[in-house]
Amino acid sequence: MPLLEVNNLRTSFRTDDGIVKAVDGVTFSVERGKTLGIVGESGCGKSVTCLTIMGLNNRRNSTSSGEALFNGENLLEMSPRRLRDLRGNDVAMIFQDPMTSLNPVHSIGKQLVEAVMLHRDVTKRDARLRALELLKAVGIPRAERRVDDYPHQFSGGMRQRVMIAMALINEPDLLIADEPTTALDVTTQAQILKLMTTLQDEFDTAIIMITHDLGVVAEIADDVVVMYAGKVAEEGAVDEIFTRPHHPYTWGLLGSLPRIDADVERLVQIQGQPPSLLKPPTGCRFHPRCPYVMGVCRTDVPALLPVSHQPTHLQACHLDEETKDHEAAKLLEGTLAEVG
Amino acid sequence: MLQYLIRRLLWAIVLFVAVTVVTYVIFYVTPSDPARLAAGQGATAADVQRVAERLHLDEPVWQQYGRFVWQLVGERSLGTSFVNRQDVNDIVFRAAPVTAALVFGGALFWLALSIPVGIMSALRPRSLIDRAGMVFVLVGLSAHPVWIGLIFAYFIGYKLQLTPITGYADFFNPSQEHGGPVQWAHHMLLPWLTFAILFAALYVRLIRANVMETMNEDYVRTARAKGAPERQVIRSHVLRNSLLPVVTILGMDIGLALGGAIFTESVYSLPGLGRQVLQSYENFDLPVIQGIVVFATCCIIVFNLVVDLLYAVIDPRIRLT
Amino acid sequence: MHKKLTLSVAMAVVGAGLLVASGIAGTASTSAPTKSGSSEIKRGGTIRINTSNTDFEFTDPAMNYDAIGWQMLYAVDSTLLNYPDKPAPEGSRLVPEVAAGFPRVSRDGKTYTFTLRKGLKFSDGSPLTAAAFKRALERAADPKQASPAIAFMHDVVGADARNEGKAGSVTGVTAKGLTLTIKLLRANPTFLAELSMPFFGAVKPNMAIDPKGINVFPSAGPYRIVSRSIGQSLTLERNPFYKGNRPANADRILYTVNTDQNQSLLQVKAGQADYDAAGVPPTAHADLAQQFGVKKGGPGRYYVNSYLGTSYVALNNSRAPFSQLNVRKAANYAIDRPALVRVSGKFYGKRTDQILPAGLAGFREATLYPIKGADPARAKQLAGGADNTITLLHTTSALRTAQAQVVKYNLEQMGLKVQTKPLPFAVALRTVSTRGSDFDAYVGGWVADYPDPFDFINVLLDGDNIQESNNSNYAYFNSPKYNKQMQDLAKLSGDLRYAGYGKLDIDIMRNSAPWAPFANPNSREFISARVTNYIHHPVYAGAVINALAVK
Repeated sequence: MPLLEVNNLRTSFRTDDGIVKAVDGVTFSVERGKTLGIVGESGCGKSVTCLTIMGLNNRRNSTSSGEALFNGENLLEMSPRRLRDLRGNDVAMIFQDPMTSLNPVHSIGKQLVEAVMLHRDVTKRDARLRALELLKAVGIPRAERRVDDYPHQFSGGMRQRVMIAMALINEPDLLIADEPTTALDVTTQAQILKLMTTLQDEFDTAIIMITHDLGVVAEIADDVVVMYAGKVAEEGAVDEIFTRPHHPYTWGLLGSLPRIDADVERLVQIQGQPPSLLKPPTGCRFHPRCPYVMGVCRTDVPALLPVSHQPTHLQACHLDEETKDHEAAKLLEGTLAEVG
Repeated sequence: MLQYLIRRLLWAIVLFVAVTVVTYVIFYVTPSDPARLAAGQGATAADVQRVAERLHLDEPVWQQYGRFVWQLVGERSLGTSFVNRQDVNDIVFRAAPVTAALVFGGALFWLALSIPVGIMSALRPRSLIDRAGMVFVLVGLSAHPVWIGLIFAYFIGYKLQLTPITGYADFFNPSQEHGGPVQWAHHMLLPWLTFAILFAALYVRLIRANVMETMNEDYVRTARAKGAPERQVIRSHVLRNSLLPVVTILGMDIGLALGGAIFTESVYSLPGLGRQVLQSYENFDLPVIQGIVVFATCCIIVFNLVVDLLYAVIDPRIRLT
Repeated sequence: MHKKLTLSVAMAVVGAGLLVASGIAGTASTSAPTKSGSSEIKRGGTIRINTSNTDFEFTDPAMNYDAIGWQMLYAVDSTLLNYPDKPAPEGSRLVPEVAAGFPRVSRDGKTYTFTLRKGLKFSDGSPLTAAAFKRALERAADPKQASPAIAFMHDVVGADARNEGKAGSVTGVTAKGLTLTIKLLRANPTFLAELSMPFFGAVKPNMAIDPKGINVFPSAGPYRIVSRSIGQSLTLERNPFYKGNRPANADRILYTVNTDQNQSLLQVKAGQADYDAAGVPPTAHADLAQQFGVKKGGPGRYYVNSYLGTSYVALNNSRAPFSQLNVRKAANYAIDRPALVRVSGKFYGKRTDQILPAGLAGFREATLYPIKGADPARAKQLAGGADNTITLLHTTSALRTAQAQVVKYNLEQMGLKVQTKPLPFAVALRTVSTRGSDFDAYVGGWVADYPDPFDFINVLLDGDNIQESNNSNYAYFNSPKYNKQMQDLAKLSGDLRYAGYGKLDIDIMRNSAPWAPFANPNSREFISARVTNYIHHPVYAGAVINALAVK
């Protein structure tokens, strides 16, 4: 049994302009100790997917359906109390912006201690020792002295380390990281990713890594879900997706990767803007931007189907497999070297 | 820190000069004759002239201003009233405790009223309590304190006889007919309430907006992700952060409130600075007006300083430089 | 006009008529005013009085110069001659109080000798001798004390020298045991009345000189001041050593100053206060009259008494268009007197077209101008096409503003263009009392608390008194013919004097019309259900507070 199994997850928001279907039938699973990358442009529903799993959407204006089975328990239909027990204990989350995700008026020590004491019946002293231990583990120098400092006294990278410490303090089975490195500079990004993989091994934690950066996925993920406009475009093992991508949107993403050999011409560029989820396009949602668009794309929604050679590699595109293979091979000549 | 204090002090001096010069100028461009008022209408021209000399009203304006500053700095004296010849220091220090009681008591009232209502409104937007709160805000912002004062006095004081209609009881001096802490509080009840209503309305609005804004902060989401129950999220992460700006605004409003005290004090016959300044204005009693202006300015400067220092204590991000 | 000042002004020129009274009563012994009212009047209890929107400027008799202060000092002070605690007309006739009788006046009218009653005491038990009055006069003239009372002492020998610091004492005043002698520079028909002002009440011979005024001091009247908290309260208690016959009914009189007039009315209605010395809000009169009835005296709650005053529009005779007689007369036809009274609140007063108030000695009723309504047609005809733009000045009080609106409408009907100019009291006063100020008409009033026509005609209309500033002649009326007639009448006494003033009043209004008079106002007062024995005092234009009694 996978650690987390998400089936046909849907989330919509009521807004003043109408209903926004932010997540529209997403299915994937995460194995214990493995890393799943979810990629896509901003607004594609990848963050909402995870917030829905965590039960952190505003209940006042959102509704969800489908299921998210965590160790067999459906997170979506759980009592608030049970959900609170799981949150921060079995499932933890790290957010994109470390500058705003820590409460500015409490010392980091206090915020870490709070995380421990919410789930462990320990004394404040012990909780503080645990906090120190984690701060050391995430590489905060002179942790004993810095534990009583306030968030504004830390750099962005250090704050993200604190966030990771807070997420891992109760040794969760699943860590959801929502673009944890986006707000950081390149050097720090690499350090944080390295830290996460190290700690993953140490704590045997599964990770869902949400990112728009395929480079990050290539670096740490075992499996990948590519999302577009609230739907899954393609999913599968990371090698499979990078070597034989079967969806024009994935080609676009791979084509947009920054290149070290800048003189190589880019093969594919994604034209246009992501669609509005208030009124998504008919048929395949990618069709207005797709260079390979056909008549059927405008009318029929493509089903998420396995590719012939690999049943765990799913894709949703009307193109015939031969064209896909051909185009993927063409693309790879330009990108693989750099991605690897 | 020291540098900060020095800069604040220099600002205070600039503010002091500006405020007192403006008061002098306004006073002297208005064609009134304090010497004549002080001499009485039965006085002959020579009598009036003698009074003018005694009050130094025959000197040029700049010289009078110089004398005022000299007295204040050299003798720490605000001068003497044109009308009843009392030391302005005495007048101010007799009236100031009454105003202080009104303003600080009123501030407690408005905070006690606005914090719960503001928070409840923010947590349950569009609920009954939210809508009731908004009606209260509308009334509080629209109604004039004198009108509220008359209405309260009529219904609560006169019809229901729950409180005295008007008047002041000395806190320390029970030798008068009314006196002592209980009588004092009983007499202050309606003034506090009247005084608090306008600000309570403003603060309900402010707190509601702040709480709603804070609820959307990332760190609140972080707290929920940690598994904190809603009650703890609000208490420990929403409230403190959303009430921080209230402290700053409170500091500024206490200064503003001194102005509002004029209405409350006159409608309830409280012998405070506001009523005194009104009466002195009617008599064109410049030294008293000036004395109260100076005193109020100093109070506002001190309040703002205290609030800044306090803010540095409660908000770890602030360092005074 | 502002009550606070008008009383002072009126009292300043207290009437020469008193001299007549003193002449007649010269042989009378000490009058012994009986306790007014019936047997149901009880002694004891506390009376609570509010003074809305005003505080006593001073309680020191040498310093106090406002209406509520004099009303209060009347209960505290003891003067050589005084007014009985009775309604008009008795209440406005001077009788000996501390003096055993009227003074001996020398043939040239310049030396007054008083003999004091024996055995009188101050509220601290010490004896009252002539030195008490010498001290009062010395304090009033002392340059350090800087008392406004010096204005009434310029005729006393040595007073000016003392006030200018050229002498150590007022040489014209000598006290020896119970005998007080005062020498004057010139005969002064108003001197006895001036000497009866609270300024010159008995004070202890050792009462200090203090420019700030002394708040609590031993006194010789029915009450004594026991404490004062400036800006808050004043407490009077019955004087235990008082030997006179004036009433002192309540044990204590507690003043709360600076109250709000509307709230104060509620307090009096609820019995939390008993009386507001500064009156009730102008809008409350109709309700009070309907609820409690209208009384002049005796049992009741709401009292309306006429007093000697005139409300008028002063027409600036010194500049066009009111320098022209026909335009001034036209104004008297134009103004709508019933409307002016109507907008001023219930029982505001009685319509008039004369200078002297009805009821004043010498007043003669005459039909001069339409007082039952305006005559705009006749006014327009008289105005002869005058279409100047005029400035109509008034104070910002609700009463004067309402009256000014009516006047504006009326004057525009006769062809003028009117700009109203409301000013705060202090500023308005300065403007109208300075010669050459920019105004053409002023809506104001005059209150006399002393029954003599001098106080109106000479004080308000004698052109020889016009100075650069500080004028009371707001019309700037200056007729050599009438100036002389006024000055001659001031020297007369008895019937001749009153008949002369009565005729002069009519002559001036008919032939020169310096004002457009419109009403003689009333004193309108309200007391709580707790108290009784309201006496309206004609001189102090309010309740006799020492007579008020708890039921």
